[in-house]
Amino acid sequence: MMKGCGCLINHQPNSLEKINLDFYQKKFTDGLPIIPPTPERVEKFYEYSSRDPEEVIAVLPPRNGEATIEKIAINAVMAGCPPQLMPFIENTIMAIADEKFNLAAINATTHPISVAIIVNGPIADEIGFNCSTGCLGPGNLPNATLGRALRLCLINIAGAIPGIGDYATMGSPAKYTYCFAENEDENPWEPLQAERGFPEKSTTVTVIGAEAPYNVNDHRSTRPEDILDTIIDTISTAGSNNSHVPGEILVIMGPEHAKAIATEGWEKDDVKDYIHENAMVPSNLADRGGRALDKKHVKDEMVKITRSREDVVIVVAGGVGRHTLVAPGFGGSSKSTTRALKLKNGTYATSIKDYNMREKRE
Amino acid sequence: MKVLNPLAETKKQETKINQIEKIEKISLINNTKPNTDTILKEITKNLNTKILKFTKPAGAPAPDHEIQKASQANLCILALGDCGSCTTWLILDAIRLEKLGTPTITICSDKFAKFAEELAKAHGASNLRIAKIEHPIAGLKKDEIIKKTRQTIEDIKGFIR
Repeated sequence: MMKGCGCLINHQPNSLEKINLDFYQKKFTDGLPIIPPTPERVEKFYEYSSRDPEEVIAVLPPRNGEATIEKIAINAVMAGCPPQLMPFIENTIMAIADEKFNLAAINATTHPISVAIIVNGPIADEIGFNCSTGCLGPGNLPNATLGRALRLCLINIAGAIPGIGDYATMGSPAKYTYCFAENEDENPWEPLQAERGFPEKSTTVTVIGAEAPYNVNDHRSTRPEDILDTIIDTISTAGSNNSHVPGEILVIMGPEHAKAIATEGWEKDDVKDYIHENAMVPSNLADRGGRALDKKHVKDEMVKITRSREDVVIVVAGGVGRHTLVAPGFGGSSKSTTRALKLKNGTYATSIKDYNMREKRE
Repeated sequence: MKVLNPLAETKKQETKINQIEKIEKISLINNTKPNTDTILKEITKNLNTKILKFTKPAGAPAPDHEIQKASQANLCILALGDCGSCTTWLILDAIRLEKLGTPTITICSDKFAKFAEELAKAHGASNLRIAKIEHPIAGLKKDEIIKKTRQTIEDIKGFIR
């Protein structure tokens, strides 16, 4: 793996290239160049945390690494994050540590599952997370670096190093970075954080185990059922984990699809119900290979890929165009988790400036 | 340029591994991976002991009540770890049983045995018993599985002696 790297770089001690090669060879990186985590750069992140650098906010499997504020900040610097993302990173780390998320399995599995981060709320907007055109593509600093910071934390804190603590057979491009904001302005329904019981003006991060997304191109349908049938046909695949262990799926619905459906009077729950009731795979395909399929999921020789309406996680995001993205989940053993950005006194943060500890001290 | 180390410290833990003594009752935890049933049947076919059977999801913990029941045996055999998530949750379930005082043997494919050992070590259970079976297991015919299980039985005998 290291062949050819050594002769290509500047070996001057302390050169950017030398530090990068050193970190790469120690398996500290995702393969892309990193920003060297100098103490000065790391300390800037403490200004946006209400915790001490030594505080352990989570223990991450499989390595059982202690996620201190310091180690999280170091990895965030390496990912190229601006310090203002620190509250998002902290909450993302605490969200993946929730028992129901099942990080132990998600990190180690041969399945190409990644962790998608969905951000909602006013601070996401203030920071400049992209929720619109190209929100899952290149060119978005907060989206790209928050997702990357999480991956570097998974590598260096949790030990999810490919072939050592991450056994994904091929891995996935979604394991580099996988983060976007919900397009709340163009969402005809309540946003994700409100659906999950948080105040609509709160800022949240939601983590969900998801495969890389797959496109649903539907420029033709006019009826809600027809658009949803195209989505359902795209997500109902025998090769997904959901076909033999039904669980969550992620539907990143383009605003044009969402509006076309909502205009006909469909609420978000109607959409979730329709997808849950109709997204299914023939049980003979799902059961092949001797994997014991739980018979409670089989009806009329079909397997529903979700267990309930709640398993259909709908987020409206993206720009112009009649496209939706869908991503199968990990199956029934992982549940998405949402956390709100709160201050030390328990109140919801309303601006990133609420976190600026240095500003407060001065 | 001084740079800080991104690698986290690991949480210090110690798990006592229980001795295998007189075996009158064995519990089998089958995580439903393909061919696990054949492996467990082959291992236990000539045993004159009471067998308790349980199934659990592959990529998730066994339910508490199941672990409690399985812990009533003198030995628990867990199978099969032939992927990352199933190996993870067999090892973590084996550790739960060891903490309840029940000795365990976990069957993992040779391709995942090293990961299983490292995971056990991270939980302070470096002596956890892991019996190997030659990878792959899924998609093979019954007679091939039985043949592969012979070596696993030797591993298990080594642990029991």
